[in-house]
Amino acid sequence: MAVVAISDYKFPSKSRQELYGDDQLVHLWWKGNPYFVAASCFRFPKAMPFGDLVELCKGFFSADPDLDPTAFDSVQWVIDDKPVTPDLGASLEANGVGHKSLVQFSI
Amino acid sequence: MTVPTQKPARKLTMQQRYAALTHDLDWDPTYVAEEEIYPFTTFEGIKVHDWSKWEDPFRLTVEAYNKYQAEKDRRLYAVLDGFAQSQGQLSLTEGRYMNAMKIFLQGIPSGEYQAHRNFSHLARYFNGPGARFASLCQSMDELRHAQTEIHTLSHYNKYFGGMHDWNKMSDRVWYLSVPKSFFDDAGTAGPFEWLIAIGFSFEYLLTNLLFVPFMSGAAFNGDLPTMTFGFSAQSDESRHMTLGLEGIKFMLEQDEDNLPIVQAWLDKWFWRGYRLIALVAGMMDYMLPKRVMSWKEAFELYFEEQMLNGLFKDLEYYGIKPPRHVQWAIDEKEILSHQVYWVLYQFSHAAAFTTTIPNEEDQAWLESAYPETWPVFKSVVWDKAQRVVDSGGRYFNPGLPQLCQICQIPMGFTEPGNPLVQCQRHSIYEGERYDFCSDGCQWIFDREPEKYVQAWLPVHQIYQGNCGGPTLPDVAVWYGLEPGDAGEYIGSMDHQDWLKWHASSIKEG
Amino acid sequence: MSVVAAPRPVGVDLQENEETRAIVEAIEADNDDLTVRHMPGIVRLTKEGQLVINQESVEGRLGRPWETHEFQLAMISYFGEFVEWDDDRIVIAWKH
Repeated sequence: MAVVAISDYKFPSKSRQELYGDDQLVHLWWKGNPYFVAASCFRFPKAMPFGDLVELCKGFFSADPDLDPTAFDSVQWVIDDKPVTPDLGASLEANGVGHKSLVQFSI
Repeated sequence: MTVPTQKPARKLTMQQRYAALTHDLDWDPTYVAEEEIYPFTTFEGIKVHDWSKWEDPFRLTVEAYNKYQAEKDRRLYAVLDGFAQSQGQLSLTEGRYMNAMKIFLQGIPSGEYQAHRNFSHLARYFNGPGARFASLCQSMDELRHAQTEIHTLSHYNKYFGGMHDWNKMSDRVWYLSVPKSFFDDAGTAGPFEWLIAIGFSFEYLLTNLLFVPFMSGAAFNGDLPTMTFGFSAQSDESRHMTLGLEGIKFMLEQDEDNLPIVQAWLDKWFWRGYRLIALVAGMMDYMLPKRVMSWKEAFELYFEEQMLNGLFKDLEYYGIKPPRHVQWAIDEKEILSHQVYWVLYQFSHAAAFTTTIPNEEDQAWLESAYPETWPVFKSVVWDKAQRVVDSGGRYFNPGLPQLCQICQIPMGFTEPGNPLVQCQRHSIYEGERYDFCSDGCQWIFDREPEKYVQAWLPVHQIYQGNCGGPTLPDVAVWYGLEPGDAGEYIGSMDHQDWLKWHASSIKEG
Repeated sequence: MSVVAAPRPVGVDLQENEETRAIVEAIEADNDDLTVRHMPGIVRLTKEGQLVINQESVEGRLGRPWETHEFQLAMISYFGEFVEWDDDRIVIAWKH
């Protein structure tokens, strides 16, 4: 449904991917652990290897004192609701992570 | 010179005075078309056949308005003077109480000012004199509210952090984009939608939840000035509620084609307003050292009892149904405040207020108010936060949160029936993905995506480099934060000052 | 003039202070089966059907002239609808 307005109403997104150059926004979500009250938003290069994201998670989520970082070696990753086995050496983009994608895991 | 022979006119009744001084001052244009004078009252699709049917039950005239508003201000300023003279800030229950007032000052007066501007627009552009005059009164009220709120809280600014740059903050700081975007959204709609958004959905349905228990809470915590301005403002709110109710009934009575338009606005603005006042839930249950009632009780009393069982039964007559996502709100009443305060706690390092873990007394109260949900929250999050404190730390979230595209609150609300898993909703519009905290917010986006793709989301703006720089300290400077504004309350500048003031009074006494 | 009111509760929240005490007493006297609830700074009056505030009753207790417009100074909030607001009385009820 179009916006009811006094004239043509069309404006670009204020968060479209091109505003981030070669980067994109990515959301990381530890599903089922409300200690992190919401998923976290990052700006990552599209070309960043997925393995770098896994390493970042080990540090980032250790804000939860109960985290065992080795758990990340065996988590089930889910990208935009699809369970995946990521290729750690390949880029985020090649692994199907797009602008504002939701990358989730549970421990 | 002739001596008048007729008797002086009999005093007019209230009804006659109102008619003479509002409706009778109007005239029909002769040399300009009506739609040129009032160009904004047709494009929304609302059909009006007879503007004279709009009546103000208060029957206010300029004279009566000025007289009573002046009296309200006199009473308020007498209280403010007495409070300042007697160093009233020392008799607050606790220094941490002031955090609730910081959020109030940072978030509310700017909204009042926005309301002033937009009701002023209605006062010019509505075709009917009754609607214009009621809008004019509300416009002046809203300006008065902004001014009295700023003036009242300025006393505390001398003694507490976080209040020095409230207007810059209301434009920039992440949690204050929640009220700002709400009023921007309403103010960029047409005049009838504005009236349903603010006059009806916000003022009539929801502001009781903001003002009444909260101001009663101020009374309970020794905050006389806030209680007084709150009740002074709220006495105007009764008129505003009436304008909102009059507005919705007028639209529904004028033409049956207006019903689906009004219902959709009501569905949208109930949810927008409800999400906005989620902040109040967190403040009421966690930030007031002494509480009058819980969010849950207030919601039951002021929303379920008064609105769902009172108002909506009345509106049924016109074919209006309760707001589309109302059941979700009812289901959330047990957990809403826990989730909101948990957001505020873990992001208060980037805020102009401080937070702390509920103390033993707070926890006992939370347990009695929320016997089902508090123990779960306590064991899952607060016990862990306490362990971090016990080992010399303080838990702050190390990142930036995913925000809801509509309400702009960090996406910490949970799935119905599962208080431990956050709700994730997404829509794709023109190839881009957008995130929502709830079915309500997603529904609002899907209805008008062109509007909400423009949302100024604080987290995304930080990542685009528009908020002072790439690091948190850069952003804090751009926000206007000063040392002592943010973080943990225990040991903060406010806390140390509070202890110092009271220690010296004991020594001297 | 009688008002046709739907049989559901209506109510009003008033400031609890010296000024409004006379108004509260007048309302209590003129409305049977009134429920009164006290909260810090607030007194909440609710009643099934309709709630009436009479100028004469208030003036009798205040001992001075009182315009019904003055009710605005006492009121914090209400629920229901002002189905009547005249020189001599105010009536809150649901119309439907």
